[in-house]
Amino acid sequence: MSHQTDTMVTAIFEGDLQRYLRGLGGLLVFLLVWWVGAMTTQPSYLVPGPVDSVHAFFDLFATSTAIVVPIFGSALVLPTGLAHLAQTLFHYVPGLLLGASCGISLGLAMGWNGALDDWLRPLVRVLRPIPPLAWVVFAIVWFGIHHTGAAFIVFVGAFWINFYGAYGGVEGVSSELTDAASTLGVERDLSMLKLVALPSAAPHVLTGFRTSIGRCWMIVVGAELFGAPGVGYEIINASNNLAMATSVAYMFLISLAFLCMDVGFRLVERSVLSWR
Amino acid sequence: MAMNEMSSTDQESSEKISIRNVSKAYESTQALGDVSFSVSEGEFCCVVGPSGCGKTTLLRTIAGLDDPDSGSVLVGGNPVTDPGLDRGLVFQEYALFPWRTVRGNIRFGLDRPACECADCEARVRELIDLVGLEGFEDAYPKELSGGMKQRVGIARALAVDPEILLMDEPFGSVDARTRDRLHAELLDIWAQTGQTVVFVTHDIDEAVTLADRVVVMDADPGTVQSTISIDLERPRERTAHDFVDSVAEIRTELGSPVDTRH
Repeated sequence: MSHQTDTMVTAIFEGDLQRYLRGLGGLLVFLLVWWVGAMTTQPSYLVPGPVDSVHAFFDLFATSTAIVVPIFGSALVLPTGLAHLAQTLFHYVPGLLLGASCGISLGLAMGWNGALDDWLRPLVRVLRPIPPLAWVVFAIVWFGIHHTGAAFIVFVGAFWINFYGAYGGVEGVSSELTDAASTLGVERDLSMLKLVALPSAAPHVLTGFRTSIGRCWMIVVGAELFGAPGVGYEIINASNNLAMATSVAYMFLISLAFLCMDVGFRLVERSVLSWR
Repeated sequence: MAMNEMSSTDQESSEKISIRNVSKAYESTQALGDVSFSVSEGEFCCVVGPSGCGKTTLLRTIAGLDDPDSGSVLVGGNPVTDPGLDRGLVFQEYALFPWRTVRGNIRFGLDRPACECADCEARVRELIDLVGLEGFEDAYPKELSGGMKQRVGIARALAVDPEILLMDEPFGSVDARTRDRLHAELLDIWAQTGQTVVFVTHDIDEAVTLADRVVVMDADPGTVQSTISIDLERPRERTAHDFVDSVAEIRTELGSPVDTRH
């Protein structure tokens, strides 16, 4: 048993090692191309080099910035990079969570209830193709250029992705499982939804949510380019001063923030769906 | 055997399931065309027939999952309108809840408000013991072989102590050796619980191994061709003379109309 485990570990390790080495190779080649490109491009601000960008990244944490926590109104002093990341999260997190809850709820309801599906399907067909950023104008006139407006745009983005995850998940519930549950005493529609449809749709719902984590980062940066405070705003702010290396540093920061969230959520997903 | 004899009044008292002139069509195909027969209390009844004879539809109708277009199914004298805990169903492809463990699947019916068990945990343990799944209580369905999955399927259906066990080709997807063992185990369980069993299969050997009586069906539309009693001692030996005779009898019933049609 232990021998078998050992060989398995070795096999996984060897396979992983090769993958890591290749991945590292790809990164190094990219860095080289970037470095050479930055060296040979004039004026230099067009392509900030990797070394300058890394410097700019660490500079983000060398100074402090005070930000205002929305709702509570209290001031918070953080290293500059984290301060702007926190500003983004102040509208990203509520927009994502609210959008996901509403999207999942409507998706489950429409996937489960045929009448509701009939009522709302044409409406969904019309509203769905509108890119979330197109709502910027309404976000501005309704909520102003600040956290609420940006949160609203993130909400729209999160809503649709999660809606389709849940809708597809419930539609895919096998009739054999609902039949089995009926013969085992599940009578009410709501019990069937809770005991069979929901757990059965969970993989789809979670995949939808994970996709929305990434998509909302794209949307949130887009929303901030219009003036809401946060990392996206800082990218354009830095570029206005031709501090392009700082723009790249904020781009790194977004990438890191997304990676952390994605890895974290994958771990949650794996433990929740261990039955698969 | 004439059908009116089966449903005559002197049989009424021991009659558990009574299928009366049931017909059912799906879109353009006639799945069941005027099917009538009855199953006595405690009887092990097998239904055999070619694919498309509506045997699964018949079982689903008894379970209350499908409504007949005309005719009715009576269980214990009451017409079937909905699924109920008095009729347990075992599915061909197991239909286990993949997100629940073996214990969770078996427990599913016990957790419904309609079911009253004094000590549900003890009941689950009893069933795990009955179907021989000790040590696999916390395994998920994906970790089990086909035979083990169907043991869970049977235990799950038995958990709520139904009066009738409906089985839809339950051993169709397991290998021959496992099937033989499951046959023996099923007969043991049946002997212990005394349930009425309706077992659908297309395997004549399986029907003769298990049944008190075999209902032979014909396809297009599904009708009852004949019913044949199997009065053989259990356990039955497949090479025994009587066994082979019964198989041949059923095969003749099944085969002749098909031959003339082609």
